[in-house]
Amino acid sequence: MDRRDFLIKSGCALSMTALATQMRHFGLMSVAAQKNAARLDAPAAFSDYRALVCIFLSGGNDSNNMIIPRHNSTSVSNYSAYSAARGSQALALTQSELLPISVPRMGGLEYGFHPVFGPTATGAVNNGIYELWAQNKLAAVTNVGTLVAPMTRTQFLNNSVKRPYQLYSHPDQITQAQGGRSDTQPFTGWAGRISDLMSAGANPNGLIPMITSISGAQLFTAGQTTLPLAIANAGTALSAVLNPSGFNTSASSVARRAALNTIRGLDLDSEVIRAASFVTDQAMTANNALQTSQEVTVTFPTTSIGNQLKQVARLIKKRGDLSVTRQIFYVQLGGFDTHTGQVNGHINLYSQLSQAMRSFYDEMVVQGMSDSVTQFTLSDFNRTFNPAGSGSGTVGTDHAWGGHCLVLGGAVSVADFYGNNSSNGTPFPTLAFGTADDADNGSTARGRWIPTTSNEQYAANLARWFGVSDSEMASVFPRINNFGAGSLGFLQGA
Amino acid sequence: MSGTIKNNFFIAILGILFIFIGHSQSNAQGDVIIDSPIPVLISESESTRALSNPPLRTSRAGRGTFTPRGYQPGQDVTVFVSNLSLMNGEGSNSVRVYGEDSRGRVYRFPVVDFGPVPDMEHIQAVTVRLSDEIGYFPAPIPDGDMLISLSWRGNSSNKVRLAFGRSGGKISDEPGAIPTPLSKAKAISVQVEDAFSYTSPRVADDITRFLQQASFGPSSASYEQVRRLGPGGWLSAQFKRSYSAYEATFPEFVLKPLDSAVGCPTGGDANCVRDHYSMYNLQNWFFRQAVYGDDQLRHRVAWALHQIWVTSGIENYQVSWMVATHKILTKHAFGNWRNLMYDMTLNPGMGNYLDMMRSTRTNPNENYPREILQLFNVGLFLLNQDGTVQRDGAGNPIDTYSQEDVNNFTKVMTGWTRCEVTGCLNRTTGAPNYKDPMILTTGNHDLTAKTLLDYPGAVGKNIAACAGCTGTAITNYANNSLNQALDNIYYHPNTAPFVSRLLIQQLVTSDPSPAYVERVANVFTANKTNPTQMREVIKAILLDPEARGNKKTDPRYGKLREPVLLVTNLMRQFDAKSNDLLAESDGVVNSWTNGIGQDVFRPVTVFNYYPMDYMVPGTTLPGPEFGIFTTGTAIGRLNNINTMAFGSLSVAATRPNGTRLDYRGLQTTAKEDPTSNKLMDNLNSKMMHGRMSPEMREQIRTAVNAVTGTTDTIYMTRAQTAVYLIATSSQWQIQR
Repeated sequence: MDRRDFLIKSGCALSMTALATQMRHFGLMSVAAQKNAARLDAPAAFSDYRALVCIFLSGGNDSNNMIIPRHNSTSVSNYSAYSAARGSQALALTQSELLPISVPRMGGLEYGFHPVFGPTATGAVNNGIYELWAQNKLAAVTNVGTLVAPMTRTQFLNNSVKRPYQLYSHPDQITQAQGGRSDTQPFTGWAGRISDLMSAGANPNGLIPMITSISGAQLFTAGQTTLPLAIANAGTALSAVLNPSGFNTSASSVARRAALNTIRGLDLDSEVIRAASFVTDQAMTANNALQTSQEVTVTFPTTSIGNQLKQVARLIKKRGDLSVTRQIFYVQLGGFDTHTGQVNGHINLYSQLSQAMRSFYDEMVVQGMSDSVTQFTLSDFNRTFNPAGSGSGTVGTDHAWGGHCLVLGGAVSVADFYGNNSSNGTPFPTLAFGTADDADNGSTARGRWIPTTSNEQYAANLARWFGVSDSEMASVFPRINNFGAGSLGFLQGA
Repeated sequence: MSGTIKNNFFIAILGILFIFIGHSQSNAQGDVIIDSPIPVLISESESTRALSNPPLRTSRAGRGTFTPRGYQPGQDVTVFVSNLSLMNGEGSNSVRVYGEDSRGRVYRFPVVDFGPVPDMEHIQAVTVRLSDEIGYFPAPIPDGDMLISLSWRGNSSNKVRLAFGRSGGKISDEPGAIPTPLSKAKAISVQVEDAFSYTSPRVADDITRFLQQASFGPSSASYEQVRRLGPGGWLSAQFKRSYSAYEATFPEFVLKPLDSAVGCPTGGDANCVRDHYSMYNLQNWFFRQAVYGDDQLRHRVAWALHQIWVTSGIENYQVSWMVATHKILTKHAFGNWRNLMYDMTLNPGMGNYLDMMRSTRTNPNENYPREILQLFNVGLFLLNQDGTVQRDGAGNPIDTYSQEDVNNFTKVMTGWTRCEVTGCLNRTTGAPNYKDPMILTTGNHDLTAKTLLDYPGAVGKNIAACAGCTGTAITNYANNSLNQALDNIYYHPNTAPFVSRLLIQQLVTSDPSPAYVERVANVFTANKTNPTQMREVIKAILLDPEARGNKKTDPRYGKLREPVLLVTNLMRQFDAKSNDLLAESDGVVNSWTNGIGQDVFRPVTVFNYYPMDYMVPGTTLPGPEFGIFTTGTAIGRLNNINTMAFGSLSVAATRPNGTRLDYRGLQTTAKEDPTSNKLMDNLNSKMMHGRMSPEMREQIRTAVNAVTGTTDTIYMTRAQTAVYLIATSSQWQIQR
């Protein structure tokens, strides 16, 4: 059987070898070629399964209204500091509605979650993630943001330490958060670089790529030699997400499909054509692997983020078929650019977030995977502590810097705040304008927290849990040594 | 480079080669042509090794051993190129030099000098620094030959070897590569037609390419227009068309209350919500104009402007609001950028979308001031006139503005709000006025002094305080300040290259050469006070030699068709009609673009349907449209094309006519020649401007002929099969 016969008779994805040859010239390898490229020094296969699920809160999450001091202690910023800054413009939540948590790192002081993280969420199908704090499955890494190197307020103001480029700009801060460096523009994402590093060992059959995005093309997922799968959310069955329609078993249909597959391997001397054909080819390959799908058990909310996480849960349920031992997923919840209408906006967004994360966690428990799968949030940036506009229907916030991230899963160490201490000796920033932790200065300072923990430290800690060794860490996070490679401690054994 | 040095080069080269340079041949006809010639990098006489300077000593060792000598990282090396036909002023930023190593990595070397070799005007000396200027891969490793190629006006040269670190190594020549010695280099006497007087293409293929760039795709009628008028003449004819006639085609709907339950009470018009509170009518209008309208250029440029000055029907959810915004873009599409800036700034739709209408002295909002700088006019980093990024001594890009600048622009833009007072033309009781420009609420305007962008010759940098002002004085102050701030942005040196590059990316190619950007930016700058500035800019973009020509061979040339252009090109080329083929399509085809990344007039964020600075993953290529090209949407494209090729959109409640592409002409062609060669010729010319490779053509012809039989239905299926296979190919989906 010659190659053409093979293609016609198999009626399935192309000539991977031909394409792989071309792709090598391109720096990219198809998933099948990655398998072939596994060398003697390739990382060993993993005996267990682990997955990271990145939940990107797109637009810049005002985490100042996600986790709030509920205590009245004067030792650190308390509820009054919060309400004084946000109350008069109707952005402050009331002290009593905050869902209380006890925080060991803060000497057991009480902080509070936005109320919709509990059962009172809009469109609730579960109790939300709040109660998982008490079960030590949920933690917060506080005041995380883009940094080139650790930086005090003084160093920021006198420019003596290099700043991340283009602070407060959405696309640039997203690029840095997802790219895992802030000194220069990255062309690949930190998950993509992990995939480059680990695919050979952790994804030996290459049936689908190691990374799957349920929210389109994202820098986070792009490696130099590997690219992600990007598929629709659970509104579409896995068997249909990448299935080309209009074919049957007639001879003419088989011939047309064979031509479709072969044409994809032609004219690859043009880099633009090659780039497009590569993506289509990866889709056709993965389609074969997704034809048998399994449904989840737990009820998910029918929101976009609910359906995205549901699709992730389906893929994790298929992990055996796919023979992949390390996977990274990307989902996204948009709408956090709350320059206006934040009060109702947050009720809606945090409801969706908490509900979807909880359903996903519960499904992992059912699948017996809750200790092996970790959800974590990222965002463009935090928002100004000083509100923009005024009045409960209108008030919002502008672009700022360091903010809090959530980590959820059975691997969480203890429910607590994690990260480096700020000038106040705790990991929670001082809620005051133009002093302490504010990057702004003078009488119009608006409260833009200088991060005390870098985005890379946070990400590297997740990567270490995932299986990236300390010796490999600098290849994933080129500036990690500016911060020291120490663990932040929020995940067990990492 | 001084003439002396160049002479030294020349002597050095002759010293190595011992060749005799004969008189160059000249073409007696002096043909005026539209295709820029293909550049030829000069090699040594007996190999594909680049003729280069300074000379490298060749190895005296036997076969299989290599001299360790080679060029070092960071060294300046001169190579020589022939077969260019340069316009006045076309210099070093018109060529780009790429090096590929044995790892398959492609680097771009900065061109540090460029100019003719004395007494050999047909040979250009190109000096490059052997350091990568893209930065995608780690620095190239000096361990053997690299293959060097040069691109110019969208065409690529042959590849020659250059010893990097040492000669030899693992890289192989391109198949079929042959020596291109100096002795074979000839002078060019054919003159590429001056872009700006371009009227008469000789060959059909460029007409198709032109219409892919300037319109929503070639139709048989528009093809005939350009064949008759030439691209330049066609553009002039488009500019002459009346705006008011075009404006009259917009769907007009009244302003409604914010709440659709109030605006469309139960028991009233069943379509009220759809017609007023969704983009349904605007989308259908948009597609009908794209497919059937005669104002193709205005419609296409306005669509490009919508993707720069982004607003969205997700937030601005009444169709009347988005119509008012899009009218501004269509009106100024052939006008002046500064006027566009003013009208968009005071457009209440934009005011709502980016919050300027809520920004007050005491509660300022930075959203619009930041984006009018970052996304709409100047961008983040200081640019040269050719669009390349300026760098400081340490090699870092230089910020165009600071947070302090944003704060100052924010102050200027406080106090503007919807026009809800007596005298506002479209004021409607119970419904917010999203039609008339915003007006000032004097008490909300910031009266303190502001300092705006500083640059050489800065316009309007300082705005004094308006101490003690009241009433009309504040209104005048605010209006003057706004105009001063817009001038400050408009006259910033970044605006011309920033806007020019975005428009080129929208219309022609994702990675234009700096020289192309500069030619367009120069026109933008020279016409800053011209009320029809945009006409000159559009002409400069579409008639440039980097845009024109029957074919482009640079492997990086072109752009991925965005979903809208994918769909409209097919609809126009195959005479889209109603589902029964008896009338026109109703334009209800948003379902063909929505699922693959473009819900028309409803982009998800202010960063457009796709980010304009997107890099194609795994490559060093800018490719904005790849931002919405994923495994999922790649298959979505296949499936929508399947419907367009083999099926239709049937008549339904929301689709009064339905849509079907008319392949009856192709069916006849298929029937006339059972070998399907005629069908392939037709489609190769029509869809791919003659650039289909023989291998691709044979694959398709084989699949077409696998549809066996002799009935009319069979011939229709054959035609549809061919269209499906071309339209689903990356070869077609990349507009080149």
